[in-house]
Amino acid sequence: MTKENGQFVDNSDLKVSEQFKADLGSLFRPQDSIPPEVDRAVLDRAGRKFIRPQRRRSIFRRIGIVAATAAVVILAFSLDLSRKSTTDVPESYFAQAKSADIDRSGRVDILDAFKLARQIEAAIDIDTSLDMNGDGLVNQGDVDIVAMAAVSLPLQKQGPG
Amino acid sequence: MRTIVIIFITISLIVPVLARQADEYETVSQQKVRFASLHIYLDSGSRALAAYQFELKATAGEVKIVGIENGEHPAFDEPPYYDPAAMANDRIIIAAFSTGKDLPKGRTRIASIQLQIIGDVEPEYALELTVAGDANGNEIPAKISYEKGDKNEN
Repeated sequence: MTKENGQFVDNSDLKVSEQFKADLGSLFRPQDSIPPEVDRAVLDRAGRKFIRPQRRRSIFRRIGIVAATAAVVILAFSLDLSRKSTTDVPESYFAQAKSADIDRSGRVDILDAFKLARQIEAAIDIDTSLDMNGDGLVNQGDVDIVAMAAVSLPLQKQGPG
Repeated sequence: MRTIVIIFITISLIVPVLARQADEYETVSQQKVRFASLHIYLDSGSRALAAYQFELKATAGEVKIVGIENGEHPAFDEPPYYDPAAMANDRIIIAAFSTGKDLPKGRTRIASIQLQIIGDVEPEYALELTVAGDANGNEIPAKISYEKGDKNEN
């Protein structure tokens, strides 16, 4: 074998017989069919390799959602939601209740609520200005508003001291 | 990437909250905590008591109001009026009335207050009667006092 201009040149010594060609061809010919067990093994390996990361991603996502939910719950609990403003009576009623000094003592106290309750029980003609919640009736609901106004702590006085 | 960001934000939110809560819990748990009752009495003498209103305030020690019970007389067996905002506080205004005919006279327990006492300082209280009234809604003279009840230590 010689080399000229970087290329191999034909050499009559490399010629082989037809039989030898045929033998080599049959020896290195690709197989016509792949056995099913090989197919399955390949698919199985591929599945394990490519599906697992997806699963992992999904698990991380779920953990993220759960953690975010937990954070919101903890945050909600950490806020002092247990402190209600004052009973179920809307605070807007208190402003009006503060003027319910029925006995003209100079302050709204439990005696005002008591007198209103007595008037309601006696079913006497009651001043409609004592309709504290504006429902068109003067009843126990209004008594409760006056009583709650009497015991409500002024915001500036709340807290220690 | 987005998941990592969510997890990071979540952790950033949770950790300070838990740390704060743990800190508060540790602070409270390190202190001695006990529970005690404070019984409030009103003496209206010979006059029938139909309504009362008083104010209680802790002047020494660290206390939190955790519960309020009604009085001993059937006329005051309904829970009294009070501001729920006063719960877990050291100051409260309590009031009640009865429009019934059977009213207490003399000295009667009008309410019991359950307190959480934190620390070793023995609490002291300022108790002030705002008003007491008879069955006609007239203000009557009365004397208010308190007695410390059973103590349960934790």
